Amino acid sequence: MISGTLPGGRRLDLVVLGCALALAALGVLFVASATTGTRFDGLAGRQAVWIAVGLGAMIAAILFDYRMLLKFSFAIYCASLLPLVYLLAFGQRIANVRSWIRFGHFQFQPAELAKIATALLVAYLFENEDDARLHASTILKLGAIVGLPVLLVFLQPDVGLALTFLPLVFVGLYFGGLPARGWIAIVIVVALLAGGGWFLLKDYQKARIGTFLNPDSDVLGSGYQVRQSKIAVGSGGFSGKGFRSGTQSQLRFLPVQHTDFILAVIAEEWGFLGVILVLALFAGLFLRALKLAQTARDRGGVFLVLGLTGMMFFSVVVNASMMIGLAPTTGIPLPFVSYGGSSVATTFLAIGLILGVQFRRFANA
Amino acid sequence: MLRIREDRQAVSRRIEIGRVAVGALLSILAVAYWSIQIVRGEYYFSLSENNRIRAVKITAPRGYVLDRNGAPLVENEPAYTLHLYRREAKDLDASVEFIVTLLGLNRDQVRSRVERGRRDPEFVPIPIAENLGIEEVAAVEARAVEHPEFAITVSQRRLYKHGGSAAHALGYLSEATPEQIKSAGNVYGVGDWIGQKGIESAYERLLAGASGERRVIVDSHGREVAEEARLEATPGQNLFLTLDSKLQGVAEDFFRERVGSAVALDPRTGEILALVSSPSYDPNWFTRRVTAAEWNGLLENPDRPLQNRAIQNMYSPGSVIKPFLAYGALARGLVDPDWKVFCPGHAVFYGREFHCHKKGGHGLVNLRDAIKESCDVYFYNLGQKLGVDRINEILSGFGFGSPTGVDLSFEKSGLVPSEEWARTRRGARWYPSETISVSIGQGPLLVTSMQVARALSALVEGGRLPTPHLFYSSQDPKTGSQLRYKAEYRQGPTLEPEKLAIVKNAMWAVVNEPGGTAYGSRVASVEIGGKTGTAQVIGHDSTVRAGADKSKLETHAWFAGFGPIQDPSMVVVVFVENGGHGNLAAAPLAKALFEARFGVAPAMPPAPAVQAEAPARGGLARASRREAP
Repeated sequence: MISGTLPGGRRLDLVVLGCALALAALGVLFVASATTGTRFDGLAGRQAVWIAVGLGAMIAAILFDYRMLLKFSFAIYCASLLPLVYLLAFGQRIANVRSWIRFGHFQFQPAELAKIATALLVAYLFENEDDARLHASTILKLGAIVGLPVLLVFLQPDVGLALTFLPLVFVGLYFGGLPARGWIAIVIVVALLAGGGWFLLKDYQKARIGTFLNPDSDVLGSGYQVRQSKIAVGSGGFSGKGFRSGTQSQLRFLPVQHTDFILAVIAEEWGFLGVILVLALFAGLFLRALKLAQTARDRGGVFLVLGLTGMMFFSVVVNASMMIGLAPTTGIPLPFVSYGGSSVATTFLAIGLILGVQFRRFANA
Repeated sequence: MLRIREDRQAVSRRIEIGRVAVGALLSILAVAYWSIQIVRGEYYFSLSENNRIRAVKITAPRGYVLDRNGAPLVENEPAYTLHLYRREAKDLDASVEFIVTLLGLNRDQVRSRVERGRRDPEFVPIPIAENLGIEEVAAVEARAVEHPEFAITVSQRRLYKHGGSAAHALGYLSEATPEQIKSAGNVYGVGDWIGQKGIESAYERLLAGASGERRVIVDSHGREVAEEARLEATPGQNLFLTLDSKLQGVAEDFFRERVGSAVALDPRTGEILALVSSPSYDPNWFTRRVTAAEWNGLLENPDRPLQNRAIQNMYSPGSVIKPFLAYGALARGLVDPDWKVFCPGHAVFYGREFHCHKKGGHGLVNLRDAIKESCDVYFYNLGQKLGVDRINEILSGFGFGSPTGVDLSFEKSGLVPSEEWARTRRGARWYPSETISVSIGQGPLLVTSMQVARALSALVEGGRLPTPHLFYSSQDPKTGSQLRYKAEYRQGPTLEPEKLAIVKNAMWAVVNEPGGTAYGSRVASVEIGGKTGTAQVIGHDSTVRAGADKSKLETHAWFAGFGPIQDPSMVVVVFVENGGHGNLAAAPLAKALFEARFGVAPAMPPAPAVQAEAPARGGLARASRREAP
């Protein structure tokens, strides 16, 4: 493992693994910076434990043949949706959202696992769809596969988490080869749905979107978070105020700074250099993962890597945009870096699946 | 095969486009961060330096507590706390040295506080000393220029104006425990005060009000520069209690050297006019942060001052149970008023000899005589006629064996035995001889003073059990609008007036006829009725606890009375632990309470209605009714 070589002389991709580990280490460092001396003291240690759990899951995913997972993906998908249904029926609310299952001291968001399961089923769908052109029936199936968990998570109601499923649709449509007129049709449908969906949103969600469109409208309310986050990021300057010296974060102006707003803490304390470091690590991870997708043995592998990478990429772009007011605050964490056990553990599981596809890229494997 | 490879080429081409798109989007993000951090970095840096908005909680002033006549019982007073701002200190050691010598503080204690405070961010002030006196505050303020690192903050502290008076009714405040913070849904934070026991706990929500918030601008040291927005706190409601300070004072004077409890109730409404549990404690201790020694002293006191004896301690009722059993037997037609029993001073039941408290015996007694002179032998016979299950039925009807529902926590329900209870709960069958003990209020039968007061209220009010309560009304300190307590009742058995009159008349005789057990405690100004009780201290526990202290084996003294006899407006229950006999140890307090309420001299003829209703201040007219000049 450490040498990157597994029995049989096949090598694991060290770029993907290295970037992931570096990001996770940054996460622990800055969760510690953001929480030491607060009532969240000690969360950095927990985060490290969850990373270890994630690494275990990752190794298991590498060793397990992803082809088997694809074969049983429908069963896995169904099983992963059961806890979501359970939560809607019996879940207790944490921060007004029913998306957590408790295990003693730890809480787990089953929706994170559902994301992986949904990616597996989407990959399986395209594995059997070996035509260069996309069928209407495939589009419908894709919509249903992704739509169901999105609906369940949306009802929790965790809009941010629900949104993170959507890249799977985009990945399927784009890499599956949707023609131009298909895209036009989709844009029209989405525009209509968005108009209708506005009426389904809760008040606080509308407030957030309203704030996003006009951040100065409510400086003390919803706009407060965005404003404080922007001040934190901007005041970091080129090289930052120094580790544990960010006044915005250490004086507790940032909201939920160890989870969703961790990048603002990095930006304040390590400045633009810190941001570039984070973005470069993500760039290395994603560009490399897409390269691996090209070399996969079969279509299922290709789409599995594409789906998982797409979801991670989406979260990174939305989260990083959120910090500086380019996207509404939707509660989407920064993969690997934000505090959050289920998020970190399942992200490493996804890395394991990607590496597993790479590892079995030769037809005789 | 060929088609698949062509397909893979198409996917591969799209992936290449995807890689470009990923690179482009991340680059755009980098540019966006560049523009904020580098291009506009100076601007945001100045914002972060100068424009720091912080939310500060405004604690709502807690509502006052007053008695029914508006006499203040609990208020708030300013408390001064000394804080150290580390950023202002040039030399921490010198600062510590300065303040230790200035105020004569414990050097090690101050040092350990500073040490602990170092773990917090630098802007968080470290509390150095609480509850400073005015001279100390002046001393610190006078040196504010040389020592800007020290600052005094003012907060509100609960003040129980009369120390230990009515402590068990009032309760006390202490810092909210982690469980309380959790169960209240994070309304409270660490270090917030919350009501414990008494009405402070029962009416916490009303008294506490709702905290407000200030959005203040602080400088780079975390110190407040200006206020940006303010949401005022909603002050807590003022609480008027049903207590009458005059009666409360009389009862507390009586219990200065005694252990026990006293309850005075208005039988028509259940309003608690006086509530004493002795020994008491000073609730002010808790708000001044008790020391370990004080706390242990309180916990280890064998008389348990923290317990509210009127509702938490259960005792044998002794003879005060007799009127209830007498009425029950009359109502069931088991005895008639003229049925007589000969009392030679003792009697044998089931092969065991039972004694009457009067050695020579009472001779031939009927029901009235038996209550008036408290003849045990009569009630042994009556109890035998009833049997334990009917006794259970009668006493349960008067509310014994179940909590009264008083607005205080930790109330005990007492115990009314039955054959089924013996079989299922005790695990040993009921012996008929136990019935004989129960019929004079001994044996497994256990009651609280509050239960006796409620049961007597039901007896004099025709069977309606009022729920005892301390809440009289609450008043919004801003608007002055009042919320009155609406009396609640539990319907007991409907009592038959003629049979009730027999029992009440016998209880009148107890106090007002020569030979009655409480004749020494008759009141000139008002005719009262009552019943004495003397409960034996038996059982293993009390014998062991007594140890060398023989006084702990002395009997408990009871008195339960009501007045005026025609239209009762007050029920009094007095219980003196190891006090001796009810007539000597307990009845005199009842007499004093009735005298305090109705005057010492004989009552004047009833005043015209207009005059009686004159001092109607906020519906408080009742208390001043029929007061002697």
